[in-house]
Amino acid sequence: MNRIKVLIDWILPTYWLKITAIIMLGILTGFIILFMYLLRAQTYLANDPSACMNCHVMAPYYATWLHSSHGRDATCNDCHVPHQNFVKYWMFKGTDGMHHVYKLVTRQERNAIIASDGTREVIMGNCVRCHKQLTQEFVKDGRSDYMMTKIGEGKACWDCHRMVPHTQSRSLSATPGAIVPYPDSPSPEWLEKLFSKKQN
Amino acid sequence: MAKKLKAWQGWLIYGGSLVIVFVLGMIVTSLMERRSEVGSIFNNRRTPMSGIVTQNEKFKADFPNEYETWKATGNTDFKSEYNGNEANDDLESHPAEVILWAGYAFSRDYDSPRGHYHAIEDMRNTLRTGTPFTREENIQPGTCWTCKSPDVPRYMKEHGIANFYSAKWSDLGAEIVNPIGCSDCHDPADMKLRISRPALIEAFQRQGRDITKASQQEMRTLVCAQCHVEYFFKGDGKYLTFPWDKGLTVENIEAYYDSLNYFDYINPLSRTPILKAQHPGYETTRMGIHAQRGVSCADCHMPYKSEGGIKYSDHQIMSPLAHIDRTCQTCHRQDAEVLRQNVYDRQRKCEEIRARLEDELTKAHLEAQFAWNHGATEAEMKPVLQYIRQSQWRWDFGVASHGASFHAPQEITRILSNGLEKAMLARLVIAKVVAKHGFTDEIPLPDVSTKEKAQKYIGLDMNKLNADKKRFIETVIPKWINEAKSKGRLVQEI
Repeated sequence: MNRIKVLIDWILPTYWLKITAIIMLGILTGFIILFMYLLRAQTYLANDPSACMNCHVMAPYYATWLHSSHGRDATCNDCHVPHQNFVKYWMFKGTDGMHHVYKLVTRQERNAIIASDGTREVIMGNCVRCHKQLTQEFVKDGRSDYMMTKIGEGKACWDCHRMVPHTQSRSLSATPGAIVPYPDSPSPEWLEKLFSKKQN
Repeated sequence: MAKKLKAWQGWLIYGGSLVIVFVLGMIVTSLMERRSEVGSIFNNRRTPMSGIVTQNEKFKADFPNEYETWKATGNTDFKSEYNGNEANDDLESHPAEVILWAGYAFSRDYDSPRGHYHAIEDMRNTLRTGTPFTREENIQPGTCWTCKSPDVPRYMKEHGIANFYSAKWSDLGAEIVNPIGCSDCHDPADMKLRISRPALIEAFQRQGRDITKASQQEMRTLVCAQCHVEYFFKGDGKYLTFPWDKGLTVENIEAYYDSLNYFDYINPLSRTPILKAQHPGYETTRMGIHAQRGVSCADCHMPYKSEGGIKYSDHQIMSPLAHIDRTCQTCHRQDAEVLRQNVYDRQRKCEEIRARLEDELTKAHLEAQFAWNHGATEAEMKPVLQYIRQSQWRWDFGVASHGASFHAPQEITRILSNGLEKAMLARLVIAKVVAKHGFTDEIPLPDVSTKEKAQKYIGLDMNKLNADKKRFIETVIPKWINEAKSKGRLVQEI
């Protein structure tokens, strides 16, 4: 305890410096919470596919999934997040999610979003996970994983099953007019009403 | 012993925190801007709309793909083994229906249904709406229009729901002019799915369910359930009501009607109070395997259509058999022709029982007429009438939804089989009744084997009915259309 006190006293010697530091910390925390609120970070803890609609660029992927054969039986996480164990699940979800945020905030997302190698490994693993009997007993493709297919040892599931589930044209403009659950406006309704009254 | 802050340290802390807060603010702003982009999706309309927009043409500029495919519901080019999108004279192909519906407008005219685009036109042209040259000659209430047009919710909003129902059919002729279209299922402001007809909302409320909590997938079925359901006009106000208070099975709905002592009409031949079933599409589909697996109406009847780089929901609502590659084969891996035969197999089995039931039920009606003519008493005929009512209810419920033989084949076969049993029980009792009155031979039945013969037998003057209708269509309908155009309700004539 004493060491920490000494450290704090060395960095922030005066009373006023300590006050300033506390205020700065408050502002920083505030911004982080605001960021998380705008990000709708709480939705990522659950499994609801509408969480992926926090970013409108995901609309075609949501719409094609909903209209596909997987629409009723698999959520986004079922395919795009590894399910081997708790740690793998949350580590991948977290880092992948942060990657998404980075790309979105810096406006670097491609018009046709393509899965990275890491994601492809996860996806193919999940294909095999649900369709285990089909891919390992009836045929043999499920005995390989994605990295093996990269060096020619077998085929990836989607080399043949191209339309499942996001179909072949995968650009951001692929589904005009799709009815998908966009998130509501982040400003609360009571605030909106306040302003609209004034504009009247 | 307070340490003194050196100037450069102070500036460092000041500058550093300034930079950190600024950068964080920029990141938050960037995120907020990306989120606000969602607004551009809904603010991109060439024709911004709100409320209820009844002229479907107005949606063409913003939703050309959906508009063009919706318009294609006017096509009459597809025929499957049992259905299709052409209007065929069903009384010609099933003359027994004339006898079963004797005393009811359906015995005059019944065509197989065709696309939504023809809703208004077909309602005006059918003999079932009669020829109300004057208001008193109306044979149907305004309620009949309910499922035919987005003008209906508009009128309901302007004049009240009960006033819409209690009006006469011809009162609304110049008001209800646009065929089933966009505003029936969509909120024009953001095109989200929404329920526009009160009857479904009220039916849900009576069951203690809140329809506004339905998920998107459920809505893709519920917008269809606004109209493709069994219904009746309750009371003198002809208030459109769904008879689901006791449940959605054929037996539950019958129990509900029985508790009200309700009947749609009395068949003059057998003097039975008959229940007419109207297209219980929603109720029967719920009992089939597809609905039980979460498949909605739109999944098969409005599948995705790919054109170039985009895809959109095909708004040409029609038989999924016309596009097996987009409908069945989204989930099923079998060959298209194998799947087609799978569908027909199920329909054929239902058809087998239907044919037997129609035959027996027709005989029951005609034999009952014979019994009445040979001295049968009310007390003697009471069980006969009960059986005939139950049999015809099951017959009608089983055949009125044209897709049910595929949507829920086991349920339809069950319903039709029960109906067949009731018809035979009726005939059994009739045989005993006529024997009591001294008749023990095979009851002679009239030849009603064609539509013409049957309609003549039940006393319909088809020449007059057809001639009157022709005159009605040529004189009254154009007046309605002109009035609607002059008031801006109708943009484009159908």
